[in-house]
Amino acid sequence: MKRSNEAMVGVVILAALILVTFGTLWLQGVTLRADEREVTAAFNRVGLIKAGNAVKLRGVRIGRIREIQVAPQGDLVEVTMRIQEDISLPDDAVAIVSPESLFGDWQIEIASRDHFPEHRYANPREPDHLPGYSIPDISQLTATADRISADIEVLTERVGIAFSEETARNIASLIENVENVTQRLSDLISQQADAFSGVTEEIQVIAEEVGYAATGARQSFERINQTLAREEFSQALSDMTEVTASLRQITREMEGTPEDIRGMAVKADSTFARINSIMAGLEAGEGTLGRLLEDPTMAQEMEGTLQELQLLLSDIRENPRRYLRLSIF
Amino acid sequence: MAIQIRDLYKSFGEKEVLRGFSVEAREGETLVILGGSGSGKSVTLKHVVGLLTPDSGDVVVDGQVVSELTSNELFKLRRRVGYVFQFAALFDSLSVAENVGMGLRRHSDMSQDEIRDRVTECLEVVDLEGFEERFPAELSGGQKKRAGIARAIATRPQYLLYDEPTTGLDPVTRAMIDQLILRMSEELGVTGIVITHDIDSAFRVADRFAMLHEGRCRFVGSPEEIRSTEDPVVRGFIEGRPELMEKAQ
Amino acid sequence: MIRLLGAPFAALGRGSTTLAEGVGRWGMLTGQTIQALRHVDVWLRLLLPQMARVGVDSVPIALFIAMFTGIVLALQASYTFTGAIPLYFVGVLVGKTMMLELGPVLTGLALSGRVGANIAAELGTMRVTEQIDALETLAYPPVAYLVVPRVLAAIIMFPVVTALAIGMGIFAGWATSIQLLDMTSAEFINGLTLFFVPFDVTFAMIKATSFGFMVASIGCFFGFTTEGGAEGVGHSTTRAVVVSSMVILVLDAFWAVTLL
Ligand SMILES: Nc1ncnc2c1ncn2[C@@H]1O[C@H](COP(=O)(O)OP(=O)(O)O)[C@@H](O)[C@H]1O
Ligand SMILES: [Mg+2]
Repeated sequence: MKRSNEAMVGVVILAALILVTFGTLWLQGVTLRADEREVTAAFNRVGLIKAGNAVKLRGVRIGRIREIQVAPQGDLVEVTMRIQEDISLPDDAVAIVSPESLFGDWQIEIASRDHFPEHRYANPREPDHLPGYSIPDISQLTATADRISADIEVLTERVGIAFSEETARNIASLIENVENVTQRLSDLISQQADAFSGVTEEIQVIAEEVGYAATGARQSFERINQTLAREEFSQALSDMTEVTASLRQITREMEGTPEDIRGMAVKADSTFARINSIMAGLEAGEGTLGRLLEDPTMAQEMEGTLQELQLLLSDIRENPRRYLRLSIF
Repeated sequence: MAIQIRDLYKSFGEKEVLRGFSVEAREGETLVILGGSGSGKSVTLKHVVGLLTPDSGDVVVDGQVVSELTSNELFKLRRRVGYVFQFAALFDSLSVAENVGMGLRRHSDMSQDEIRDRVTECLEVVDLEGFEERFPAELSGGQKKRAGIARAIATRPQYLLYDEPTTGLDPVTRAMIDQLILRMSEELGVTGIVITHDIDSAFRVADRFAMLHEGRCRFVGSPEEIRSTEDPVVRGFIEGRPELMEKAQ
Repeated sequence: MIRLLGAPFAALGRGSTTLAEGVGRWGMLTGQTIQALRHVDVWLRLLLPQMARVGVDSVPIALFIAMFTGIVLALQASYTFTGAIPLYFVGVLVGKTMMLELGPVLTGLALSGRVGANIAAELGTMRVTEQIDALETLAYPPVAYLVVPRVLAAIIMFPVVTALAIGMGIFAGWATSIQLLDMTSAEFINGLTLFFVPFDVTFAMIKATSFGFMVASIGCFFGFTTEGGAEGVGHSTTRAVVVSSMVILVLDAFWAVTLL
């Protein structure tokens, strides 16, 4: 009894050693099989991936990340992956860092460049390294910004078409309102940046870019005001078109799945749809600009629409969780 | 080769147990220390092997002051002292044979076989042959005490300290243990201190008597002297007459 | 009146001096234990039996506790996560919780009851029946003979038992997930591996080692300082369990603060 118990000491210790050693290796995703090969990709930045994360091809896991290193020159991040030996990658393969789900686990998706030509891929130093691109993490925020800037663009176009000196003042006040909205959006984004330090860096960048765009927009709006009398308004409008286009360009880079913010998007949609229809009405000959001025309901409607948009934005600011629940998690 | 206890003081908290106790066990003799229970006899004995350290005063064994020894020197001294505990203090987790062989395994270069022989021999001496594989929980009180004696004598010590070796035993076993104490002293020249309440047994083994009373040595002398002493405390104690002792207070 | 008011403070003062004194004496025993390591000839023989007692005998209770912990973790995780969070997070939760917290702590607490109490009772009995004195008279250094093998055995075996318990807890969580929850093995394992870092294991082992040391040395301390017969032994045993359980929880927080 006593002796056999002492022999058990060895058995128990051995069992624990085996469990710890192989358990750790297994959980790290180290396989003892050798039929794997290494692939390296170069990125400008890599977001939140870490060693052990999945590497996928067409959504199927084919390996894992082995090592993440900044290149000695400091300009690239080189990520080494181990993938199954027998799987061949597309000729124009690129590596895209993306969230695997909304819960903080990230992955590298290997894809053909043709499928995602719009990204700005890093230029690898070695010819056999894959060009890589890292999708920023705050798709929810940027999707909204994208939509709003798109609508501002549409709005500006319509305003441009409908322009006449008489209505300029009314439209200027409308533009002021839009400027207001843009400012609020930019404030909102910097607030978000403060609240969630985990993604601070990403958000900071975007907040800055949006802020920059807003400043640009404001400047052009100011120029509209100043130049109204001097008939340089059309020049100002084209400036604004440029600015909003660049805003749109920025936000397009930050694409993602805006699903969780659908409520907001839908609201924004309908708001702009109404602005649109007003503008469409202006555009149609019968609705001359004079009529816009004379018709109090039209003007009211337009004002109400803008108020609605502002309400929506201040609601986002006050209850960001309603719209951003999942990015907070 | 003697044990000298010199002006020993020891208190536990408020309680002063020893207050200047002095006595000497000369080389080769068996000193019996008498004293009421709780008078500090066991405490005195523990000072001899350094289990307790005196508040003041010395115990000198073999010319060495016990409380001043380094732990290594103390271990060396202890190898030459056998201690029979009042309640045997056998190791519960070890068999009788392992208990008895404990001291041998620690500090002798005896082989396993030699140790086994010595253990058997010592168990025979205390009349416990055949009990080697028993565990202390399977022994009676008297058997435990005898196993404790066997353990104390196994290393052939030069000094033997017996703490109430015969208390609570039947007359036959008592006589056997008395003979054993005598044999140790006569055949091996062991210097011994025996603590006992058992007056008959005390007279059988004692070369000299000392009485510990109220923390001091009340009496020292030969068996003849103690029989003829006029001291009421000593007389009261050995004759079992508490009224004499009370009168002396 | 003043005396009446003073009484609680006096009690507090006494309480804290006893605590400080206790900690000091425990520290001394620990120092002696380290010194006694040099008596290899004394403790080496005793190490294996103690390892059997601390380790092997404790495996069933540790596995039992870990099994039910794993089951409950999986069920409660799925209950909490329903809807908003994907179910494979059950794997994350079971794995992380078993490794970082419940594996080491529950095993530590169970073994403080089992091993700590056992040590305190055994050494306490030896103290009050003078067996420790007897050891000394036989020229055995009692700390080397009694404390060193127990403390070493606990330091070695607590991590071993904890590792097995963690394994069992995760296994039970997995079994529950695929049997009772609508999960596949792959989902659970995906969750398990998702946030795993090898440091999780190191962390668990550091914790278990420190718990082992504490439980054994506290058990030895209370055993060694036992006074007053059978009642004293009972007292020491209770205190050993209470104190070492508290120390485990405090240490747990300490490691969380310092290492995480
Ligand atoms: N370790 C100790 N702590 C406190 N008191 C003790 C201790 N050892 C002995 N005493 C007290 O000292 C007194 C003498 O004890 P002891 O020497 O055992 O008596 P006896 O003469 O019956 O052997 C007793 O009152 C006992 O309570
Ligand atoms: Mg006594």
